[in-house]
Amino acid sequence: MIAGDLFHRQPLLRELKEVNYLFSKLSHTKVVLIAGNHDYIKKDSYYRSFTWSQNVFPLFQEKMKGVRFPELRTAVYGFSYYSREITEPRYRDALAPRLERHEILLAHGGDEKHIPVKRAELLKLGYEYVALGHIHMPQSVIEDQAAYAGALEPTDIGDTGKHGYIIGKTTEEGVRTRFVPFASREYITLPVTVDARMTQERLRDQIREAIEENGTQNMYKIVLQGQRDPDFTFSGEAADSLGNIVEWRDETAPAYPFEVLFRRNADNLLGKYIASFHDVQPDSIEYQALCEGVHALLETKRG
Amino acid sequence: MRIQELVLQHFGKFTDKTIRLEEGINILYGENGSGKTTVHTFLNGMLFGLERGRGKAAANDTFSRYEPWENPNYYAGMLRFTCGGRHFCLRRNFDRASKRVSLICEDDGEELSPDDGDLTALLDGLEKGTFEETIGIAQRKPEAGETLASQLQNYATNYYAAGDQALQPSLCLQYLKEEQKALERQERQEEQKRQEKREEIEQNMSYVWRDIHKFREELEEVQGEIQKKSEEEAVKKQKYEEFYQQKLQEEKLRESKWRVHPIEYLGMLLAVIFSFLFLSKPWSYLWAIVLALVFGIYIWNRMKDGKKKPEEEDPGPDLEPEQASLEKLSWEEERIQVELKEKETIYGNLQEQLEEIETGSSPECCSRREALKLAEERIAALADEMRQEIGTRFNNRISEILSDITGGTYTRIWVSDQLEISLLKDGKKLTASQVSRGTLEQIYFAIRMAAQEILYEEELPVILDDAFVYYDDERLRNTLRWLSENRNQVLLFTCQTRERRLLEQAGLRATIVEW
Repeated sequence: MIAGDLFHRQPLLRELKEVNYLFSKLSHTKVVLIAGNHDYIKKDSYYRSFTWSQNVFPLFQEKMKGVRFPELRTAVYGFSYYSREITEPRYRDALAPRLERHEILLAHGGDEKHIPVKRAELLKLGYEYVALGHIHMPQSVIEDQAAYAGALEPTDIGDTGKHGYIIGKTTEEGVRTRFVPFASREYITLPVTVDARMTQERLRDQIREAIEENGTQNMYKIVLQGQRDPDFTFSGEAADSLGNIVEWRDETAPAYPFEVLFRRNADNLLGKYIASFHDVQPDSIEYQALCEGVHALLETKRG
Repeated sequence: MRIQELVLQHFGKFTDKTIRLEEGINILYGENGSGKTTVHTFLNGMLFGLERGRGKAAANDTFSRYEPWENPNYYAGMLRFTCGGRHFCLRRNFDRASKRVSLICEDDGEELSPDDGDLTALLDGLEKGTFEETIGIAQRKPEAGETLASQLQNYATNYYAAGDQALQPSLCLQYLKEEQKALERQERQEEQKRQEKREEIEQNMSYVWRDIHKFREELEEVQGEIQKKSEEEAVKKQKYEEFYQQKLQEEKLRESKWRVHPIEYLGMLLAVIFSFLFLSKPWSYLWAIVLALVFGIYIWNRMKDGKKKPEEEDPGPDLEPEQASLEKLSWEEERIQVELKEKETIYGNLQEQLEEIETGSSPECCSRREALKLAEERIAALADEMRQEIGTRFNNRISEILSDITGGTYTRIWVSDQLEISLLKDGKKLTASQVSRGTLEQIYFAIRMAAQEILYEEELPVILDDAFVYYDDERLRNTLRWLSENRNQVLLFTCQTRERRLLEQAGLRATIVEW
């Protein structure tokens, strides 16, 4: 089951031929697919005219429809996007027709602009399982009843974590699903905690070890956290050779001893400045302004 | 800080002269030329060193003026003072050859290094220029001048001396502005990168567009050809059909025409029989044979004609190659249509990609920009607030001091950043030029005292060198009272007995220092 966005954009004919060939190789698997908001069915979409292999059952119509597999006592329902956005909650009233024993809803979207879906509403629809698409990160919505399988491979730097597919088994007791990691590599956010004693070399060692531990094939987003020596900045370039580092973010705050600074400077501008940011949250703009201001004041002080 | 002892080992006309100073008001009385200014200069020189002029200027500079009259190679002095409860001894050699300064704490024998700023630290950052404009009041120069103005401004805008950091807000604000500019530059670079990406896509789009255009033209051409061909074909077909029809009719006609009619046969037979029966013999034989032959030839001819004709006409093969090329054209049309659609899809996809390229800055840049802006605004506001606060404090203190000295004549005075003065008397606002010389000097005195209090935490001795010449008795008495009440140590150089008399009259304690 492919819950939409098989393609990120309008598929080309040759691409459809390729994917259809791959589908046709499936010996005892049927493929049901819908079009999502990315590969929505445009006026001249190849989806409209393409002839699929016998084991492929596209639900490319605009209205909810099902495809029945009497030999499996199963029906899969769904519809496709005909525009980039659909804001009405069209799954809200899409109750299971109860024509077959096992009924599955193939759905796409879930956010505000792409058919908003509420967890409670999904539960009431009466499908045995709801296969959701749109969100790239695999995630369960209702355990063993509704889940986003996510992208098979991470598609951009934001798709961190494991990617793969969901395999489900329906028995007398109901559906059991299992996520199967499948992607050949993943984006990993690697938080590295730094303290005032951290040095460039030590940081390199720490990152190198972490990358070796997590797999060198993966792509890493390094996030430096914690408090660093105010006079020290870490350079991302120096770490380039350590592995597939795709992003380098320095979220460290200079470890200004605000308390001490304030006590020693209670009556001057520095003290007043620190006091004016009393009780700010460490991840707020205000805190950043506090650090920037203190940095600037200390950087430009005489002597 | 309190000065305990001046030892002029070799300075000007003095040799091994010791002057002891007490707490409170010290009157250093001396007639003209007795060396008051020398002592004053010595004190100055001990604290800040004697600067030497260069070239011709050197002949008349302070250094040369007070070079010892005898033995100029031994040009030195000593100053004992207490500061923060500790006793210090400061020694200086002024002479060219062995210029040296040493500072020793006499309580624990610790040797400090004045060259590294230990002395300045004890003086609470007091420098020569400021000294001369605050606590060192000379008769020649009673006004508080530019140095003090800028020092006060520095103090107010830049130099928040309280605490352990010498902050410079204006530099800091500049720094923050530069950071913001750097960030803007960075953002512009990122935008440029996005622009490059956009241009790349646009270029791709233009290639694809060219292909689309090409395919459309080809398609048109092929379609045109197909139309032409099919029109031609239609015409041909029509012609062929017409021709065929004609042939068919002709054939029909021919068939009816060429076929020998039974009546003809009958007629011919009758004619042969008639000529054989009714003509006289032997002519009847001849006629019958001739007629039979003629009819026989006629019939044979007709029959032969009918057989030959269908073999000649066959325009069919003419059409077949035409039909093949038309089919080829429509295959071509189909191929172009497929390619065109593919290209159009690619074009549409590129367009989407182009639309998806973000505009605007990354969230990190935005938040950093906001943070920098907030920091700048906050620091500017706080600095302003503090400047105003200091200004207010300064003005209040000056007003207080002036009011004390003038016996409440002037209750309110405003001093701007540039030390421009305006004051209130009997509800009237006056400028500095509208008051008497004496009052002006009293104003400057008040400014100096207030400035000293604001600039320096450490209380320093006030040194007055014939500074009260323009004061009337009443105001001088008030001033002396103010000094004895508000200052720990005052050094009052005078060539008059007026101060001594007024102090006695007012019942204020003073030490008379003689030398």
